[in-house]
Amino acid sequence: MANTDLKTLADRAVAEIGAAADEAALEAARVRYLGRKDGALAEFTKQIPALPAKERPAMGAAVNDAKRRIESALDERTGALRAAHLERELGAERQDMTLPPRRLRLGRVHPISQTIREVSRIFATLGFETVEGPEIESDYYNFEALNIPPGHPAREKWDTLWISNPLGDDPAHPLLGRTHTSPMQVRIMEKRRPPIRVVIPGRCYRYEATDAIRESIFFQYEGLAIDEKLTMSDLKGVLYAFARQVFGGDRRIRFRIDYFPFTEPSAEIAFSCFICEGRDPKCHTCGGDGWIEAAGCGMVHPDVLRRVGYDPTTYQGFAFGGGLERLCMLRTGAPDIRLFYQNDLRFLEQF
Amino acid sequence: MLIKVPLEWLREYVDIRVPIDELALKIHMSSTEVKGVERPWWDDNVRVGRVEKLEKHPNADKLQLATVEYGEGRRKTVVTGAANLSVGAIVPFADEGAEIIDGHTGERTTLRGKPMRGIKSEGMVLSAKELGLGEDHDGIQLLDPKLPVGALLREVLGETILALDVQPNRPDCLGIVGVAREVAALLATALREAALDPLTTRTPKGLDVRIEDPEACPRFAAALLRNVRIGPSPAWLQGRLVAAGMRPIDNVVDITNYVMLELGQPLHAYDHRELRGGALVARRARSGETLRTLDGVDRVLPDGTLVIADEERALGVAGIMGGESSEIRQDTTTVALECASFEPRGIGRTATRLGLRGSSGSAAARRFAWELSPDLVPLALARAVRLLREHAGAELVGVVDRYPRPRARVNVRMRFSDVPRVMGIEISPEETLDILRRLQFEAAADRDTLVATPPAVRTDIAIAEDVVEEVGRIAGYDRLPMRIPDGPLPLHERHPLEEFRERARDGLAGFGLQEIVAYSLIDPGWLSQLTADGSPLAPEPLRVTNPTSLAQSVARPTLRPSLLDTARRNLRNREGIAIFEIAPVYLPRRGDLPEERWTIGILLAGNAEPARDGETWLTKPRPWDIRDLEGFFDALAELLHVSHPPAEPASAPGLHPGRSIAFAHDGAIRLAAGQLDPRVAERWELPLATFVGEIDLAWWHAASRRPEAKAPSRYPPALRDLAIVVDEATPYRHVVREIRAAAPELLESASLLDLYRGPQAGPGKKSFAFRLVFRSATGTLSEGDVERAMKRVVGRLEHALGAAIRS
Repeated sequence: MANTDLKTLADRAVAEIGAAADEAALEAARVRYLGRKDGALAEFTKQIPALPAKERPAMGAAVNDAKRRIESALDERTGALRAAHLERELGAERQDMTLPPRRLRLGRVHPISQTIREVSRIFATLGFETVEGPEIESDYYNFEALNIPPGHPAREKWDTLWISNPLGDDPAHPLLGRTHTSPMQVRIMEKRRPPIRVVIPGRCYRYEATDAIRESIFFQYEGLAIDEKLTMSDLKGVLYAFARQVFGGDRRIRFRIDYFPFTEPSAEIAFSCFICEGRDPKCHTCGGDGWIEAAGCGMVHPDVLRRVGYDPTTYQGFAFGGGLERLCMLRTGAPDIRLFYQNDLRFLEQF
Repeated sequence: MLIKVPLEWLREYVDIRVPIDELALKIHMSSTEVKGVERPWWDDNVRVGRVEKLEKHPNADKLQLATVEYGEGRRKTVVTGAANLSVGAIVPFADEGAEIIDGHTGERTTLRGKPMRGIKSEGMVLSAKELGLGEDHDGIQLLDPKLPVGALLREVLGETILALDVQPNRPDCLGIVGVAREVAALLATALREAALDPLTTRTPKGLDVRIEDPEACPRFAAALLRNVRIGPSPAWLQGRLVAAGMRPIDNVVDITNYVMLELGQPLHAYDHRELRGGALVARRARSGETLRTLDGVDRVLPDGTLVIADEERALGVAGIMGGESSEIRQDTTTVALECASFEPRGIGRTATRLGLRGSSGSAAARRFAWELSPDLVPLALARAVRLLREHAGAELVGVVDRYPRPRARVNVRMRFSDVPRVMGIEISPEETLDILRRLQFEAAADRDTLVATPPAVRTDIAIAEDVVEEVGRIAGYDRLPMRIPDGPLPLHERHPLEEFRERARDGLAGFGLQEIVAYSLIDPGWLSQLTADGSPLAPEPLRVTNPTSLAQSVARPTLRPSLLDTARRNLRNREGIAIFEIAPVYLPRRGDLPEERWTIGILLAGNAEPARDGETWLTKPRPWDIRDLEGFFDALAELLHVSHPPAEPASAPGLHPGRSIAFAHDGAIRLAAGQLDPRVAERWELPLATFVGEIDLAWWHAASRRPEAKAPSRYPPALRDLAIVVDEATPYRHVVREIRAAAPELLESASLLDLYRGPQAGPGKKSFAFRLVFRSATGTLSEGDVERAMKRVVGRLEHALGAAIRS
């Protein structure tokens, strides 16, 4: 009898709680059913002591059961109401996520610096150490030590900017803006013993009219490797590895005959065109023949070795040198070398 | 040196049985850079055809139907009005779609098959006019019957010219025959020698030759020719000169030029009447000696200039330019023909001094500045004598050839294994020998030993590596495998300064500054615009003695003008700029290369915000200020672990005297930063809010230390706020120094909260508010610990600075 009443009471309470619209209604329902003094369940609890001892445990259990049901309904409803409330609040806080963000000022490393780092990084993986050297050089290191004595016809290949020292010039040792990074070959060999593997990035100077692909002040990278058995094939392999890293994919590499007084044999390196793969006769990148000329190279001339005190019957090796801006232009499509040095931020901010 | 090689001239010396593109590629890869192939414009639809059948047009008396075979059995029937066709004639045939020249309008047009009097012409046989070869439009251009039917017309007719860029080590390739020698080697075919007249050894009466300086003129030959008839040279010869880029003059001069283009050896012809004493002498110019050269310029010959003279006077500058007095005239009948060998550097120096060097200089001078082989002398002379006999009626009287110290033939003694040693590829001795013989080397082999003797006209072969290159290039560099080197890896050095520099570069870019790389040669005028009174900021710069322009004529001794110039140009299209450059500045040293002092330069100008032009969303516009610049310097120093005593406020040159700092060390300013002097800013069209700074990178590096890391304290901090009033003249730095000195162990940080001036501080006073953070590494600080520390701080501030505590 009492059990039936209890069940009815609990059913009613659960239904009422389930329908409560807000937390205040829930609290009212809690007080109404579970309130210590006047709550509906308390009426049953109060009756227990009056029951025969035999019925008391069953009644107690029934009351506890009803209480658990009501409490559980209350928790559930409270959670549901809070979730719904949060849902509403979040809805109201909705932002237009397409509005511009807070702008950060972005600094960038100049494309030339980026390219120097890239070249150094790639050659480091091949065991080449990056070294640097003077831009203002002596005629000796720039020319004579490289088999280009005064009056040598090959000097026409390197039109020179001559430098005057305000503290006095020495006509026997004229200064110049180095016309290539090759003098560092000699400086490094003078300081070290083989094995040598170095790469030298740096600024160079030529007396030259500037245009979209030529600057009179520009950057080169130079490589030098000397040990007892390096060959032209090692040179080709190193430059192939470089080309793959710079231009990606499985680049092909082409050597053709060239002439430099300080290498013998000499070659010019071209990489297969990474834009058209040689398939577009009107390709702007390679000019249509499928090859991009990249650098000069060769085996270090025995006379150059001898001059730095290396015995050419023991030591041999290779050297190469190419234009840095050209690498960067090829990779980024920058159309004019002068853009790098005009430093228009609208240009630089693209790198 | 750029030379033009007309293919038709080349074919005189070597058979070319490969397509021109293939030939050009072979030359480019293995011999001499091919700059371009100039060729007739006829397309693939214009070929050599043979007339197989001729019929009358059924509907027109004046028209014929010609069936033309144009290779591989292909035939087409064309309608033509030409009367000069016969069966078997070799003719130019244009298929439909070919580009030709319209015989009536003279314009280029695309050929379309169209019916003529009811019969469709399936193509066209072409007149000279339609080929663009001339004005003749009456008949069809009949071709050489030996031409292969079906060949592309552009391959066999008209001037195809290879433009070659010959390198200075290959003077032998400055002539057609030299190029032919290379082609013969590349195609493994025979070289035809030039037709020569035998040179009599009879010394001619009336001509002698003397060398006074055999160093400068190792060989001097001359021929005396009589009964010479001056006139125009034959059309074919003129045509070749024009194709190779020279202007025809008269037969004698043209033939000397022709031989130069063919063999590479320049010659010079004199009117024998003008040779006083009947002699040609190679001697040094006398002091003050003058000469009117062929270009009509009167020249005072620099001392020591090698001249060719007669017994009385200089006739020409040896190897560079002849003189007017002895030049060939219309009535010349007896010619003295000079063919000599000169020391190339002397020629180069003289040509430079006379302004006749480079591409504008004389063709002879450019060739003589390279090491031409003296063995070319008798060849060129014999060739010229033959042509003068054939085309100017000349009779050879006699020849003198002075060659006091004949050059020894070069014999390179080497090993066959030198080829794989250098190239890294096996090339068999048999192939090596074959290649050398194709190149006209003499080669003797004994087991691994090889003695290679280059042809006498080559002057570039001296050592084994030279021969290896010959073998390698003809075998083809394409055959080189790609190896990744093994062998010992060198130990790398550290480069602390360069590593420091790269961290600085990354740091500044990370702070939002854009790196620039500016020209290292600048306008010297810039250097006097860096201070209000124009006084220099940096030492006298190194100068370029032959600058390309004034704007790039001194090596910059400071980065500042480059920064100012970059800012000025950029601020024309933006509101604000924040840039840096890391580069060497060039400081002269006596008797040495200059110091290349790596320097960091920073510039801020205009607006700091907004970061993007015009956008004020989420940001308020504000200009850069001096604290921004300090902030970048401080942050960079912290990032790079640079610690040095802080720089004193100083009036660094060119900067605002009250808003700059500088730090000198060893007599030089190593760090200077501040607001640009407003007068300088105005001069550079920069805003007042322009801030610049420069740091000597090596000096900063020396002041940096390796980071030492320890674990953070596990104990809680104690925070105390402190407000003090000090005299207006007391710098903030002194206040902080005293606070730190008072509690060196426990004080973790002292942060400035506020700087106040006003009634509550009092006149001539200012108030700083600080938040002090105390913390111990070993335990939680008690209230008493903190109170004692605060008392020491306050006491020290009161004592040392006369500060008053504000409550």
